[in-house]
Amino acid sequence: MTNLKRILKPAVAAAALSAMISPALAEETVHIAGWGAKSGPLRSFGVNSEAVLKAAVKEVNDSGGIMLADGTKAKLEYTYYDSACNAEQAISVARKVASESSALIGIGPTCSGAAAAMFGVFQKTVGDDTDTGLQFPILTDTAVRNGLAKISQWTFRNTPNEPDMYDKLFAWVAKTYPDLKTIYGGTETDQGHSNGTYSKVIVQASKRHGFDWATGDIEGVTGDLGSGSAEVLTSSSNWLMADTNFSVQARAFKKSNADIYVISSHPFTTCGMLKELKRRRAEPKLLIGLTSSSSAEVMKGCAEAAEGMIIPTSFAPITPAAEKVAMLANENGGDADLHSAAAWENVMIIKQVIESVGIDNTPESLMADRRKIRDGLEMLEQTQGLIGEVQRVQDEGEALKPYVFVQAMNGMWTVIHDPRATN
Amino acid sequence: MAYYFGLLQTIGIHTLLGLSAYILLLTGQLSLAQVGFFAIGAYVSGILTVIFEYHIVPGLFAGALAGGFFAFLVGFPALRIKGLMLVVATIAFSEIVRLFFFNLNWRVMVNGVEVGPDSTQGFREIRFYAANGWDTLDVVLFIWLFVILIMAMLWWLDRVRAGATLRAVGADELAAQSSGVNIVAVKVAAMTFGGVIAGLAGGLYAHSATYVDHLTFSVLLATFAVAYPILGGLSSVFGTLIAVIFIQGVLIEGMRFLGDWRNIFFGLLIIVAMNFRPAGLLDGNVVAQILRIVGRGKGSDGERHA
Repeated sequence: MTNLKRILKPAVAAAALSAMISPALAEETVHIAGWGAKSGPLRSFGVNSEAVLKAAVKEVNDSGGIMLADGTKAKLEYTYYDSACNAEQAISVARKVASESSALIGIGPTCSGAAAAMFGVFQKTVGDDTDTGLQFPILTDTAVRNGLAKISQWTFRNTPNEPDMYDKLFAWVAKTYPDLKTIYGGTETDQGHSNGTYSKVIVQASKRHGFDWATGDIEGVTGDLGSGSAEVLTSSSNWLMADTNFSVQARAFKKSNADIYVISSHPFTTCGMLKELKRRRAEPKLLIGLTSSSSAEVMKGCAEAAEGMIIPTSFAPITPAAEKVAMLANENGGDADLHSAAAWENVMIIKQVIESVGIDNTPESLMADRRKIRDGLEMLEQTQGLIGEVQRVQDEGEALKPYVFVQAMNGMWTVIHDPRATN
Repeated sequence: MAYYFGLLQTIGIHTLLGLSAYILLLTGQLSLAQVGFFAIGAYVSGILTVIFEYHIVPGLFAGALAGGFFAFLVGFPALRIKGLMLVVATIAFSEIVRLFFFNLNWRVMVNGVEVGPDSTQGFREIRFYAANGWDTLDVVLFIWLFVILIMAMLWWLDRVRAGATLRAVGADELAAQSSGVNIVAVKVAAMTFGGVIAGLAGGLYAHSATYVDHLTFSVLLATFAVAYPILGGLSSVFGTLIAVIFIQGVLIEGMRFLGDWRNIFFGLLIIVAMNFRPAGLLDGNVVAQILRIVGRGKGSDGERHA
């Protein structure tokens, strides 16, 4: 009995002490959530985003944490979920995080399709009591498809603005390569981002800057965004994301005799197409790719075939901060690219917003804190990005990120032009 | 609770999808067209509530009817083939439907906003529930009203002559025909009823997810639709529900923390389940035992379903 008392006394004392200090400890942590594809064919997106997110959270904590409304500092903590690039799963994670966790804001999901569905279950207009959608702020890092953040006032993005990027790219190509006159291309038609950017943005931008379609004018394409998009697809040689054979498409590319080839697809099929073009000795004077392919996957999968390809991207290790993020991402088992690097910026934006709006970070204040963060995000006019200042489009929740043009050279993406230098 | 209610929505919708394949499996037909009917229901009901601003009830009703109509049309040519050939033919149908919606572009201005299917960009903002003040519990109750209704109908069907006829066709088509069963009527009726259920499930899915695109209606979803009743067992309508809970609740949601390992465990657990329970998680013996426990069985159901 005495022995039992000896064991029980310290245990009871420890439990009592723990009960006293645990609420205090809990209040010292600010919780955020991230989610993306960590399984399935697009798992590299989620792996890369989490690697960068982890590094960013460590950076915040190493620098002292986040200042709360009462002046105390709290450590930042994150949980990362796998939503598998699937609409149902992304919605499920969003509901889980919003209703079952103390997370103040979410970063994700990876894929545009999943984001388009997930954003739909959020309240469309803040303060509309008749709308029962989720009331939880989201700051997406990866999903690039145009205009997604407009779906709900609770959803924000820190993704590049492709219409602006390709407009500047073709202006630069027209000036830099005055001898190039004709263009031909294709896209993976079953992917909304690749397809939409190609048929509504890229081809129109090329037309705007004086390039001719190699096989004859495409009806309806005036140079305005989205003009003649259906005809663009029927005039191109396209493929699907699951395709592994590109011989028909590569033959059409070669037959077009175009000066410039555009390959608008994700890294997996971009590599397949590039390898087939190389095998057929189809040698355009210039190759242009989709923003999503300015990633390490292309360099790992088909560096030789991609040699010379030019892509506009919102991330390149051209500043000390960007170099650091690239290095930290590698240390965490991922790669920093235009998608994942945004996760770093998002964490820094969240820190900035939390410190500016002042949150209590208690269980009772959770909903009010989330609302404050949302309002704080909407108020932002500009943020500091890894390669420069990012302008916010306040009423749309979108970003205007700085970008550079990179070219595949000797197995690396090398910056060949910074549009800001000429502005 | 929004998360758990959301999970209940998913389980309810997938149960309906599984039941649409269940009724066909009773007649011995393995169809991968259910996802096609599901897609038709999703788009038809979504278009009606978003573009034409219908209430969801007539929208769902129309989606279910459209699913049933196309199932009826598919039912006749499907009579000429069976087994693996039917699987191939029904996959082809689902792909035709998927590619139709892949190309469907019908954008109109409604209340100053451009809405409607936008081909590969998908069909966004099918927000009837949230826009009309339905919270997640309301949606759960709404979806499960249909699930219970359909399950009750199928349960009742299994206890009357019509159900015995379905199973007779599934067990031995020739013997059933020799006994005077109209095979054509039974198979087409099963296909049509399955199409109605799948169309209804599609409509509920579109409004629950708020977004559909062609990628939603993949062969993988078609495989899930037939996997639910096969894994759950054809002895009872509840087998499909149990399989959906096992797959959606345990394997997909419960193992999310495993990341990429989840897919490996997913396949592994399905193999284990099918090896240990080859006639389904809820096979005839289990059904008989349950009925004995509740004091109704007397062994007859077990014998009938075994």
